[in-house]
Amino acid sequence: MALKKFVSDDGKKITISVDERFDFSVHQSFRDAYIDADTIGSEFILDLSKTTYMDSSALGMILLLKDHVEKSSSSLKISKPNDTVNKVLEIAQFHRLMTIER
Amino acid sequence: MTGVTAGLSSKLALVVDDSAMQCKLLSVLLKQQGYRVVTANDGARAVVMYIKYQPDLVLMDVNMPIMNGYEAAKRIKALDKKDNLCPLLFITSLDSEQVYLECIQAGGDGILVRPFTPELIKAKIKSIQRVSDLYSQVKSLQQEQQKDAELAEQLMSGVIESRNFARDKIGILKKAAALFSGDIQLTALSPNGNLNVLLGDFTGHGLRSSIGAIPLAETFSAMTKKGFSLNEIIHQINQRMYKLLPTDLFLAATFVTISNHDKSAYIFNAGLPATYVFDQYGETKFQIESCHPPIGVLPNLIKDVGLTIVPVEPTDRVVLISDGIVEARNIAGDMYGFNRFERDAREALVQERNNLTEHILHKVTEFCQHVPQEDDISLIDIPCSGWEQKQRSNTPRFESKQTNHPGSEENVSWQWRLYLTGSRLAAINPVPIAMSQIQELEGRAEHWQNVFTVLTELFVNALDHGVLKLDSEMKSSPQGFLQYFKEREKRLKSIDKGFVDIELQCYLMPNSGRLVIRISDSGQGFDFDSYQSILNQEEDEADEACQKLCGRGIKLVYQLCESLEYFNNGAAVTASYSWQDE
Repeated sequence: MALKKFVSDDGKKITISVDERFDFSVHQSFRDAYIDADTIGSEFILDLSKTTYMDSSALGMILLLKDHVEKSSSSLKISKPNDTVNKVLEIAQFHRLMTIER
Repeated sequence: MTGVTAGLSSKLALVVDDSAMQCKLLSVLLKQQGYRVVTANDGARAVVMYIKYQPDLVLMDVNMPIMNGYEAAKRIKALDKKDNLCPLLFITSLDSEQVYLECIQAGGDGILVRPFTPELIKAKIKSIQRVSDLYSQVKSLQQEQQKDAELAEQLMSGVIESRNFARDKIGILKKAAALFSGDIQLTALSPNGNLNVLLGDFTGHGLRSSIGAIPLAETFSAMTKKGFSLNEIIHQINQRMYKLLPTDLFLAATFVTISNHDKSAYIFNAGLPATYVFDQYGETKFQIESCHPPIGVLPNLIKDVGLTIVPVEPTDRVVLISDGIVEARNIAGDMYGFNRFERDAREALVQERNNLTEHILHKVTEFCQHVPQEDDISLIDIPCSGWEQKQRSNTPRFESKQTNHPGSEENVSWQWRLYLTGSRLAAINPVPIAMSQIQELEGRAEHWQNVFTVLTELFVNALDHGVLKLDSEMKSSPQGFLQYFKEREKRLKSIDKGFVDIELQCYLMPNSGRLVIRISDSGQGFDFDSYQSILNQEEDEADEACQKLCGRGIKLVYQLCESLEYFNNGAAVTASYSWQDE
């Protein structure tokens, strides 16, 4: 699987962990990871520590997640992007839109 | 019965068997399935029949004289390549693993071993037909998609980008990964001679990424031609894209204005790799990184973020690139990267002037060798000179000045006024509004460009020096211009009082007309006596002195108008512009 999802015991913390390639191929499973979760007031963590490649459609997917998070008054944090991935996030200036923890 | 079903179907089967008896038997079964049937008795004949009839299904015996089934199957499959899937079923009495493997190797899509019941062969044909139907469905969808992509491509290059300004002077490189690229390159000339350029990269590839292309190109070109500033254009485009595009679709883009008048480049990089300013030796003078999220992500642009102003020399060039260049990979998986790009750009500028685009394309291709291109490759190379405003030096002058003096109110054809105060002065640029009034009332004409220049110069003077009390001395050096601009932004932000009053009066006469522009502001005026005397000096002497005091702006206005007069110690000005119908 190119994508894993962990939910904490209390169900409040949802970690979505993407594998090496974060591109359109994970589109469906990425969406499935958050769309049906009962997530009012949850904390979403997008773990990119294993990701080595990310394209602009991945940025689009993150924006969709952000939309979802805002609608369900949850929070979103991007966690541990490596240098290459962080460069992509930086060029898109995503730190102005969400929290990115290195 | 068989005849009836056969008549309803257009499907054609080719049966190949050296036994006439077997051919007949299979033909009957196929006809019951609704096929029309043709037959051949050896492999060579089968190939000929196949070419002649282009059947929808082939049943092939293995052992036959002249050419066996394997060879015939290979030849038939070689004819088809990938264009067509005509399923080929081997029929044999030899039941061994070896035979099975050879059948598949020869290109067979299945195998039936004798003896079999009619039910079994019917079932087999049905299953193989299912696969082939699916294949032709996929193929027709693919063709449709291809057609759409071709249409989008035609639209993009044929309609949108062919309208670009100065395509011969600006180096543009575009190499799409798919047929239709998500990259868009636009250039347009503003009425004051500034050049606006945009390099954009829509998320993804193909038709989906083209949704925003037309509104983007229209807004960019229309607003540039009306004389809106780069900031205003970006704001408007962002709002349109935000409303139009779905959440996951956006536009990473760099906007550039080259102003020969200000000797500056205005650069706004939202989501693209660094924009470069190179000097004539290819040394990097400035590198402008992305500092704003891509266009269409946020409902409004983030305040105070984005626009960078840098001084440029006429020999400099501004180079925009998309990520497809720096992220192009070679066989080892290494990226072409910024260092190679800078090195190759320098090489291009030192060795083969003006051939930056071709040189970079050559280098990137050389670097990647045969690795297929993953992303669109785009580059725009803009020379920083040659964008001076074309002046119409022979402005037609009025001959009968006395009889129709601008003051005579009863002759006025129309009149228009805009009185802007306080914070509205910071938010609204009245020049495009005035220009669209003039063009709506009097129609489009090339010479309105002169009016645009006059209005812009007079309004900017009233706002900058009158209301904002900025000292034009600051602008004397290119670095000073940047400082001037920053100070201007600061003062604009806190503006809460003051006014600029703009009034237009148009006098129409047979085959000619006059536009009187009156602009006054809340400022204290300026030392306009010495200024007036400068305007009255001879051309050469006046030039230098005038540049020092007020930039080239007012001199230009003076040249374009039939008269230019200051009142109220310089806080009010009346310019009279006249024309003759063409």
